[in-house]
Amino acid sequence: MTQRRFDWPDLLFGSFLVLVAAGTFAATWKLSGGTAANMGPGYMPRAFALVLLAFGLFFAGRGLVSRHAGIERVQLRPLVAIAVAVGLFAFLVESFGLAVASLATIIVAAVASHESRFFEVIVFGISMSAAAILLFVKVLALPVPVWPW
Amino acid sequence: MELFDNLLLGLSTAMQLNNLMYCLIGVVIGTAIGVLPGIGPIPTIALLLPFTFGLEPASSLIMLAGIFYGAQYGGSTTAILVNVPGETSSVVTCIDGHEMAKQGRAGPALAIAAISSFFAGTVATVIIALLSLPLAALAMKFTAVEYFSLLVLGLFAAVILAHGSVSKSLAMVFLGLLLGVVGIDVNSGAARMTFGVPALADGLDFVPVAMGMFGLAEIIANLERPAVRQVVSQKLRDLIPSRADLKAAFPAMVRGTLIGSALGVLPGGGAALPPFTSYAVEKKLAKDPSRFGKGAIEGVAGPEAANNAGAQTSFIPLLTLGIPSNALMALMIGALMMQGIQPGPQVMTEQPELVWGVIASMWTGNLMLLIINLPLVGLWVSMLKVPYRLLFPAIVLFCCIGTYGISNSAFNVWLMLGCALVGYFFIKVGVEPAPLLLGLVLGPQLEENFRRAMQLSDGDPSVFLTHPISAFLLGIVVVLLLAMLSPAVLRKREQALAE
Repeated sequence: MTQRRFDWPDLLFGSFLVLVAAGTFAATWKLSGGTAANMGPGYMPRAFALVLLAFGLFFAGRGLVSRHAGIERVQLRPLVAIAVAVGLFAFLVESFGLAVASLATIIVAAVASHESRFFEVIVFGISMSAAAILLFVKVLALPVPVWPW
Repeated sequence: MELFDNLLLGLSTAMQLNNLMYCLIGVVIGTAIGVLPGIGPIPTIALLLPFTFGLEPASSLIMLAGIFYGAQYGGSTTAILVNVPGETSSVVTCIDGHEMAKQGRAGPALAIAAISSFFAGTVATVIIALLSLPLAALAMKFTAVEYFSLLVLGLFAAVILAHGSVSKSLAMVFLGLLLGVVGIDVNSGAARMTFGVPALADGLDFVPVAMGMFGLAEIIANLERPAVRQVVSQKLRDLIPSRADLKAAFPAMVRGTLIGSALGVLPGGGAALPPFTSYAVEKKLAKDPSRFGKGAIEGVAGPEAANNAGAQTSFIPLLTLGIPSNALMALMIGALMMQGIQPGPQVMTEQPELVWGVIASMWTGNLMLLIINLPLVGLWVSMLKVPYRLLFPAIVLFCCIGTYGISNSAFNVWLMLGCALVGYFFIKVGVEPAPLLLGLVLGPQLEENFRRAMQLSDGDPSVFLTHPISAFLLGIVVVLLLAMLSPAVLRKREQALAE
């Protein structure tokens, strides 16, 4: 890996923790904290957030002063394809049924790999959808619509 | 003999026809995912959890446990034949096991791996049975104070003994704890960090979190690496090892079993530590250490016995104290809670059939594994020919359906997607996600016990030090943390965990 200005993994992880801690404080500021003997609902979340804040600042600070590691390049293709495939499933399953949702998920997910072949994916998608319906709806009795109508 | 009675009770539960069937399903699924690199037991168990809801508690735990130790068997098959560890626990088996396969001794290597695993599994079952009673009796004396300290010890020890940077793993534990308190506060009824989403009122479900971070994020990261998997083409003859093989392997098997059993009980010991330790020990004890790495049979027998023994004894803290020693056991806790059973020492006395049934099922399961693994090894190997480009879309689909199935809500699928993206981020910045899962599962328990302890003591935190057991447990945490700061220990740990 090339020499970088910052230790990016540390810096990013630290910033992430600081963000989470800040979000927690923002989300719980209305809840009462209470005392240790009589804790309110906000006591523990804020206690955990404080620890996270400390960890976050530590990592971020360490990331700023040390300078070696970069991050392996993010490849967009698998990331986007898998994310869209899962999103499609969530979007389609209730209104269009399991059959459509499964087929769409398999086909879009397959785009993530360079090696996928068009016809193979179609055939595989149809048979996997059929298998999923058989297994989850018929055998395991998952209450979900199968067809769009 | 109480122990004998208990084991008999367990056997009668485990031998029920339906439980035998669930055990078989578990070990078959386990072997399959063990053989296939790229899917581990964690997403598989998470996937099946929603569907165990309708089963009896014992049947569901028997099946899930079967997946876990079945995966250890399957992982070694891939390690020996393809030199790719199917699971982290079989990384060491690759070294000498694959070397034996290259010399045309794949058959004996597989057989020794299976026999060692079976031997270790049998001994570990007895050890679990022996240790469970006194530990559970001790745990019955625990109040909220001791329980809180025990949870703290469990979390810290799990982090220190597991892979990766200690400070980052600790941060992940706290992140998990924070996620664990999302939902309606049981004491005041106030919604905490639900952001107005009604589906979050009951808290974050750990199944979507586990599947997103372990299943999907792994897939995305795997796809970025160029695929290298050579196809196996070796005839498997002579499965039966020679008498000399057995004689050489037996002492290693015994030592591996002992090492695995001891390390498995420790939180975080789980799957990775025992085989590495056993391999190092065998190499040190051998008359001619140079044979290691060139197909030494002890290098297969020891680690294989150790990983199986470790996998099984890691159930001890779960069954007796109700605390998970690794992320997988955290899922088991989830399985118990789905059945309406609050994990803890009382489970042993209230649900003896469940606990002893699961323990006894490990033995029947190991016997089944021996049978389905040795004669049918060719079948498992042919599974390796399924290309990853077909495998991963199917896994994505099953994760979606499984997550949807928990409460029939698309919300959980979105949650899984979010966790997958965060999990991918964690992989990119080199942080292990397992501690987060532990924190998530233990968060509510930790908060509840802390709150109760504080109420008992009127808000005085010194109560954790004035109770002797609690003080002792926290003392171990301090010692562990101090040890981590010493450079010598740090270097040793890096060596031990280096792959």
